[in-house]
Amino acid sequence: MSNTGSLKQEFLKKWIQGLKACSAKKKEMSIMERKKAIKLSADLAMASARNSTTYWSHTLMANALQANKNKFIVSDILGNDSDHGIKKSSMRVLATSHKNMRSKKILKKSCSISRRSKKKALGRCIARNLVNKRTQVLKRLVPGGEYMDDECLIKETLDYILSLRVQVDVMRHLANNATHAVSHTTTTS
Amino acid sequence: MSGRRSGQSSEGTSSRISDDRIIELMSKLQQLLPEIRNRRSNKASASKVLQETCNYIRNLHKEVDDLSDRLSQLLSTIDADSPEAAIIRSLIM
Repeated sequence: MSNTGSLKQEFLKKWIQGLKACSAKKKEMSIMERKKAIKLSADLAMASARNSTTYWSHTLMANALQANKNKFIVSDILGNDSDHGIKKSSMRVLATSHKNMRSKKILKKSCSISRRSKKKALGRCIARNLVNKRTQVLKRLVPGGEYMDDECLIKETLDYILSLRVQVDVMRHLANNATHAVSHTTTTS
Repeated sequence: MSGRRSGQSSEGTSSRISDDRIIELMSKLQQLLPEIRNRRSNKASASKVLQETCNYIRNLHKEVDDLSDRLSQLLSTIDADSPEAAIIRSLIM
């Protein structure tokens, strides 16, 4: 796993870049617009700090490129557009070929049922169904999850959670410090 | 996790190898989750780990959303040339 500190710095650098691009382009923004811009810059900064080494980051960036909103933020943080477009299709092919190669372990229902172990096997089947259901939910939460097989999904989830933590950490620090700074100046002035 | 392991007899060796891998990854995931880590027992079932993971990710998403909200409100109350803006700018530099 990469160093959290350097990841934080990468993220912060790119996020600020996006925020600056945002404020340079539009002087007057509604709060909703501003919030969306902040969130988008944060997500993109997080994804691009991973440099397309993971599926989820790649999916995030590809989706942002496809959507037409706030293109200046996207192009500012991500740089070259066409590169990512080509990468997206090849990544998807890679992901689906992974899926075909491995059997879907969690979905198989090979419960060997004998008279003695019927209850046990039933319990196992129920557990397996539950795992299936939960896996489906997880696939929806992690960007690009639908194309991954199980092992890949868990690896991606690990990385995604770490990056989300970094994102929340940095954003929280900025928000807290900014609030503190603003309230401090208003009391002293 | 034991349920997954015992249903393996009909599969070949390849799936058993990656099955261990999955168990290893699951335990790594477990270590990341705040709730399960605090408990003494580390034998959470697969479905529990997955459930906690989904909840955790949803929470993180919500936090990002709330923080973006907070920051956007903060930034909108600041005039471009005020001393507050200068402070924020210096925080960012």
